[in-house]
Amino acid sequence: MLRQIQISDLQVSFNGEEILKDLSFGVSAGEMFAIIGPNGAGKSTLLKSILGLIRPQHGKITMNSEGKKVVVGYVPQSRVIDEETPISARDFVSLGQISGFFPWPSMRERKILKEIMIFTDTDRFANKPVGKLSGGERQRVFLAQALVRHPDLLLLDESTANLDPNAQAQMMDLVKKAVKEWGVTVIFICHDLQLVRKYADHILLMSRGYYKTGNEQTILDDHDLLKAVYQTVTSGNEESRTGGSVSAGLSLSASQR
Amino acid sequence: MFQYDFMQHAFIAGTLIAVMCGVIGVFIIARSLSFIAHTISHIGFAGAAFAAFAGIDPLIGLLAFTILGSLGVGQMGVRMFRRDASISVILSLALGLGILFLSLGNVQGNYSRTLLFGSVVGIDLQDIWQIVAITLLVLLALATGYRWLKFDSFDQVGAQAAGLPIRWISICFLLLMAVAVSVTVQIVGALLVFALMTVPAAAARFYTQSIFGMILLSSLIAMLSVWFGLVAGYYTNAPVSFFIVAFDAASYFLGMAFRTVMERRSAVRVE
Repeated sequence: MLRQIQISDLQVSFNGEEILKDLSFGVSAGEMFAIIGPNGAGKSTLLKSILGLIRPQHGKITMNSEGKKVVVGYVPQSRVIDEETPISARDFVSLGQISGFFPWPSMRERKILKEIMIFTDTDRFANKPVGKLSGGERQRVFLAQALVRHPDLLLLDESTANLDPNAQAQMMDLVKKAVKEWGVTVIFICHDLQLVRKYADHILLMSRGYYKTGNEQTILDDHDLLKAVYQTVTSGNEESRTGGSVSAGLSLSASQR
Repeated sequence: MFQYDFMQHAFIAGTLIAVMCGVIGVFIIARSLSFIAHTISHIGFAGAAFAAFAGIDPLIGLLAFTILGSLGVGQMGVRMFRRDASISVILSLALGLGILFLSLGNVQGNYSRTLLFGSVVGIDLQDIWQIVAITLLVLLALATGYRWLKFDSFDQVGAQAAGLPIRWISICFLLLMAVAVSVTVQIVGALLVFALMTVPAAAARFYTQSIFGMILLSSLIAMLSVWFGLVAGYYTNAPVSFFIVAFDAASYFLGMAFRTVMERRSAVRVE
């Protein structure tokens, strides 16, 4: 069982450009932890580092799980689905069942698959090809695939970004239900601050080397802070087009750091 | 027809190879490796020609060249080899090398034709045992790594996120493909391996949405095409490979029509 995730002094660079610098924060088990911030802040890089797809140059990601291996589920914003190879939603979800020895699923695996598909309401279109599903249905299939492995930690990388408000709410309600029923810890990247307000227990705000963790009151209700972060990017982009300094536009006080 | 040993051998060998091609073909299609399979079969042609030049068993030449070729593809990255230009260069080079070795070895025209177009009726008992062993090896390896291979082939993002060693899966699959190509070249020839390995699998996609269903159907189409080819070839004296490819192509176009009809029907139902 996952107890806590601790990120300490994380540093990630690509081609000499620092994407993450001295980032530290903790996530408690069973909470929904949102990551917000403008594009280019390094949110996806952080998620991929937690996932182990990117190796940080410095710092540590510690998952306290009493010595047991932490199972991580991941739901990206979108996936490339080959329309010419139309596999059914059921088959797509079952791809996540990788631990069995035999090529065919055991009775227990079949039962779990059925349960997860009912839980995510994907059983209604279980035989439909994934390529023919709507955006919301597809995302629920991807979520079901991540949940079928019974993850301790679920990472959602803007997985509601392309959905209409109704589908967004459906998706996030499902995630919340998974947290309540199975104690899954969730870290999700989201640009919709209304969704973050509704679902997040804690929030990490990221913006070009500036990081702040807090909750609804300390992050989302601090309009000056949000304005500064998001306007910085806009003015920073304008300045970078004219050759100016991006960091020059950042008007956050040292105490906020 | 079955009173002749050569026809019995042809049916046994053809059936085994068809099942193997049907299974591995589903993953070749899902991983978009059709043209890499085609290129590896040409590398195999160069290997078999080298074997003739060096005076060794053609299967050894085939295996050596295709395995080295697959390792090269795996090392340099499959993505690079999916580029048209890279495939054209390697394919032409392999064909050129094959022609060079055949010329240096002063090999008879019959042998070159067999390498390029196959000879399903020239199989002896020793070949059959080789084919049985290699087919079982490939099928066993596919069964052992089935879950990982399936995940990586149909959803690479998910497989990578689940922590599967996708690079190793890719290299192991390329090696299996090399072995399968080597044994299939002996039956249908370097030019038509492509057809038996990819067309049945490509056709199967039109009929089913289940991965296991695709594997079964792909093997069935491949098997029926080989049987049809052998029977038609026996009675008409025309090349067996032609009938195999014609059957596979027909199943592909029928499948395409089947899917179009099914999609139209479901569209009408929705309206």
